[in-house]
Amino acid sequence: MNDDSEERNRRESDVPVDLSRERESFVRQFLKQGVELTENLLEENKALHSQLSELRQQNALLRAQVASDDAIRDLLRKIETLETERRTLLDRSTQLEETSKENQDRNVEIEQELHDLANLYIASSHLHSTLSVRGVMRHLCELLQQLVGAELFAIYLLRGEEAIAIGADGIELTALKSIPQGEGVVGEVMMTGVPRINDKPQPGGTLETPVASIPLMVRDTAVGVIAIATVFAQKPVWAAVDRELFKLLSSHAATALIAANLYAKEPGAATALDGLMDHLN
Amino acid sequence: MADYSCLVVEDSPMMRQLLVFALARIKSIAVTEAEDGVDALRKLASASFDLIVTDINMPIMDGLKLVKRIRSDSAHKDVPIIIITTEGSTEDRQRAMALGANAYITKPIQAPQVIAKVRELLSL
Repeated sequence: MNDDSEERNRRESDVPVDLSRERESFVRQFLKQGVELTENLLEENKALHSQLSELRQQNALLRAQVASDDAIRDLLRKIETLETERRTLLDRSTQLEETSKENQDRNVEIEQELHDLANLYIASSHLHSTLSVRGVMRHLCELLQQLVGAELFAIYLLRGEEAIAIGADGIELTALKSIPQGEGVVGEVMMTGVPRINDKPQPGGTLETPVASIPLMVRDTAVGVIAIATVFAQKPVWAAVDRELFKLLSSHAATALIAANLYAKEPGAATALDGLMDHLN
Repeated sequence: MADYSCLVVEDSPMMRQLLVFALARIKSIAVTEAEDGVDALRKLASASFDLIVTDINMPIMDGLKLVKRIRSDSAHKDVPIIIITTEGSTEDRQRAMALGANAYITKPIQAPQVIAKVRELLSL
């Protein structure tokens, strides 16, 4: 037996075995596996491509968002800068408004001062614009009424020891009695040459107790008095210019009257200047 | 060349001068002066004015009569009129406004007050 089997084995090993079927089967298997693998790889590749595309899209979106965030941050920074500028401009505008208001107030003050100066200039120029005694008296009365607002007043002139009324408004001249020097407010002002002016013109007074008594001065001597008994009701307080007008009247009214009085005795302007050169030498 | 013309009617030369000075503070106004109501009417007959400032107590024709005459004249019936007067009572004011005055200012005047009223009436 063993010899048969040995012989069979020897015969089997001497004869080449036909492995082509195995080989084909192997190759088929191998190829099949290769195809499967390739298909798997292709599938995977396709999936990876798709994923890559998705990721690229997401990346683009994220980039856009970041850019947008940056833009928003820039805008916010710009807004803050503009807010700061706005606050600065508002502060500046407030300052300018205050300055403008101050300038306006100062303009009003200046206009008032100009008006007061105009009052004084006009009063002075009209007082001295005429050499007629009646003219001077008319201007004096007009000044008191129109510029000061005197309603009832009298103008007294010292003659000897008495003050005699030479002009009036709001009362008949003939109704006014003479006042002895030193008697009452008018007499006292006539004697001292010191004006007496109430703090306020209201309530009004009388010619015996005037709201303002202004001496008419020639150098240091009182030669007359203006007594203002009442002013118009629409004048509750003295204006700043009133006291200046009183000073002007005190120093100029008597001079104007004296000039007009002297001129009244002259036949004309030329002769009124006779002797002038002698006074200058 | 002034943009506006104003007629000042006042018998007191002192007051007239003061008013002219006050109005001169407004650069665009030219001022014409009249001594009383009759003088004013003569001036109105030959020229037109954008504003009239008038006293009340004047000889020949007083300010209230003047206002009445102006308002009855179609040529001047709309011209603004400011009364400036020593008469300070409410009745005087009401009478003047009823006749057609646009403003009523009492003496003694304060130039800034007059200027402000003129600016208001002329929309300056």
